[in-house]
Amino acid sequence: MSTEISNANLQDAQLRAGIDRSLRHPVMFFLTSGAAWLAVSLILGIISSAKVHSPTFLDCCSFLTYGRTQAAHLNLLVYGWGFQVAFGVIIWLMSRLSRQTCKAAGLVLTAGHVWNLGVSLGVFGILFGYGTGIPWMEFPAFTWPVLLLSYLAILVWSFVQFKVRPEGSVYISQWYLMAAMLWFPWVFATANILIHIVPGNPVMAAGIAAWYKSAMVFLFFTPVALGTAFYLVPKVTGRPVQSYSMAKMGFWSLAVIMPWAGMQKLMGAPIPYFLPYVGAAATILFFIPALSAAVNLLQTASSSKDVVMHSPTLRFTMAGLLGLIVMALCAAFINIPGSTLKLSQFSMSGYGFEILAIYAFFSFVMFGAIYFIVPRITRREWLSRRLIKMHFFISIYGIVLIALVAVFGGLQQGMGQEEFNQPWIAIAFRAYPYAWATTIAWCFILISNIFFFLHLLVMWLRLGRRSIHPTLLISDHGASPHGEDGDIDNCGPGTVTPAH
Amino acid sequence: MSFRTFFLSLSASFGVAWLAVVVVPYFKMRSIEPISMGDDATGTNAVFIPKRAGRIADGSKVYAENGCYLCHSQLVRPTYAGNDIFRSDLGGMVYEDQRGDSRRETNVYDYAGEKFAQIGETRLGPDLSNLGVRVVNSYAKDISPEAWLYRHLYNPRSSAAYSHSACPSFRFLFDEKKINGIASGGALELDDTSDIEIVPSADARALVSYLLSLKKDQPVPPSLNFAKPAASSTTAP
Repeated sequence: MSTEISNANLQDAQLRAGIDRSLRHPVMFFLTSGAAWLAVSLILGIISSAKVHSPTFLDCCSFLTYGRTQAAHLNLLVYGWGFQVAFGVIIWLMSRLSRQTCKAAGLVLTAGHVWNLGVSLGVFGILFGYGTGIPWMEFPAFTWPVLLLSYLAILVWSFVQFKVRPEGSVYISQWYLMAAMLWFPWVFATANILIHIVPGNPVMAAGIAAWYKSAMVFLFFTPVALGTAFYLVPKVTGRPVQSYSMAKMGFWSLAVIMPWAGMQKLMGAPIPYFLPYVGAAATILFFIPALSAAVNLLQTASSSKDVVMHSPTLRFTMAGLLGLIVMALCAAFINIPGSTLKLSQFSMSGYGFEILAIYAFFSFVMFGAIYFIVPRITRREWLSRRLIKMHFFISIYGIVLIALVAVFGGLQQGMGQEEFNQPWIAIAFRAYPYAWATTIAWCFILISNIFFFLHLLVMWLRLGRRSIHPTLLISDHGASPHGEDGDIDNCGPGTVTPAH
Repeated sequence: MSFRTFFLSLSASFGVAWLAVVVVPYFKMRSIEPISMGDDATGTNAVFIPKRAGRIADGSKVYAENGCYLCHSQLVRPTYAGNDIFRSDLGGMVYEDQRGDSRRETNVYDYAGEKFAQIGETRLGPDLSNLGVRVVNSYAKDISPEAWLYRHLYNPRSSAAYSHSACPSFRFLFDEKKINGIASGGALELDDTSDIEIVPSADARALVSYLLSLKKDQPVPPSLNFAKPAASSTTAP
């Protein structure tokens, strides 16, 4: 009996190791180039934020004007960092969950290079004055077919793996990931074809751009991060998801509600009246899918508080889920038609919300996933507990500041706009202190991510620790500095202890 | 749930919204019925023909490429969505001559000639819906409207009233030339005695032409007008 179990464990461990080996190059490529683009995006973010309060800062050349650096900063955050880290995590998770090794690693890696080429051309296009002027779609129009085709070449294998997987039930993570994988090309192709190819009414084109932005957040970044969190939390704590029916409810409410969101950005614009109201209602209702998933996962982890404190993966994932709760409350708070929507519509709140979604929620969960995946595929452990802690705390300080500033500063700015007897300069003065705080916060986040990038680079070069002890965030001097023996599932065949 | 049902459900939940808020409204709005002028006394079926003069397509391209929409909006919202219309000059002007109150909300014809309506991301800078009106009537006192805009784009903080402007300088849209004999037409009037002159490039000219086209003071049908039609009823037939 016991030999049967250990045989099954042995085969299992060999399969996992095989999957990790087959995906090593593409996954590490996506994660590292994503982290590099993140650093570039943050530098551009600091430059553009500084220009809001000090307009003569770096006032030398055309490619460093606010209008170009800010656009490049956001597009890099989305397509350079967000999508690439999502690719790395999706292809790894889908292989693991479908129990299939990746047989097209070379092609995925090539397509990843093509995606990077598209992003590079797009960013240089924006900086040198060839941007399209459409928010989040500023890359010159020729890049979108490049991005779409390389996207398909990267992720089609995950669908194939799912199709040929051994029989069995489908886990909630796979639902979320496959939904994101299906919705993104649909949204991306729709927006680009309607705006760039089929000429239409210019106001409706602006409406579609607003919907596109919202669909990127709610129908790609949100499901990818939730799918990942639903994998990481049960895996690391070793406990099943608290309520599986609640997880399903959260998934289907996301699928039904969120495609309607986005056009509240055009409240008062000459488009059909129902569109902005439907958009506002759907965005407010985001709290249903968000809270049901976040509460479910927090409860799952709540019985393993020690693990949450010690595991870098879980600490980042939990922070990301708290970010999701804040983001959901913020979505409801700043989008009330006739009340807060008119304050937030043309203020810093919109930017603040985007940063909450992409950094406080999505990126934190992705960092959690990276701290989990990288030791498994490189078969090395993270070098330094301190670097991970620095990355965590400095990022937290930065993001809390940005979220507070952008949301409340935005409302302040909106109130200034509503006071129509005050001169315009009074509104600008309301925004200055918040702009200063944003610059400082981006500096924090940049510092934390430079540590992260270097740490990841060292891991990519396989200079991590050769050890069977995972790197845990324990500062207790009595315990081993690297945690207990053998609690990582690639440390050797047959280990059954929970992973960190 | 099978693979097939799962994907059908996903496509359905997304597809319904996709049709209802994106595809159908987009194609419906490609052809908009003309609006009758309504109060036409001559009995002809006059319709509203939106008119915009200037280099709209070229200028809006320069506007987009330089990210102007990140700080400037182009939308005068109705009163249910904001107080834009009451802000001095932003929603239009109250003229003392026959034109009367030209303040009104943005309508769908105001973006005629553009590929993409630059609704705008934030209002770190003021709304530009009626910039043309403001420059002509308020800003350019002893200088042509074009010259005022060139000077403002070249250095937004050049005058005391704008010393706190956060707008970037668009010096790169201007060419520096050595004056050879007579100065070029359209060169910036700067107070310096050097033999260098600053001449707006083709992009700067297109942008200024576009910015001056941003005005909403042509007569519109009553159904699109915020102001009560008091002025027209007092004129004798």
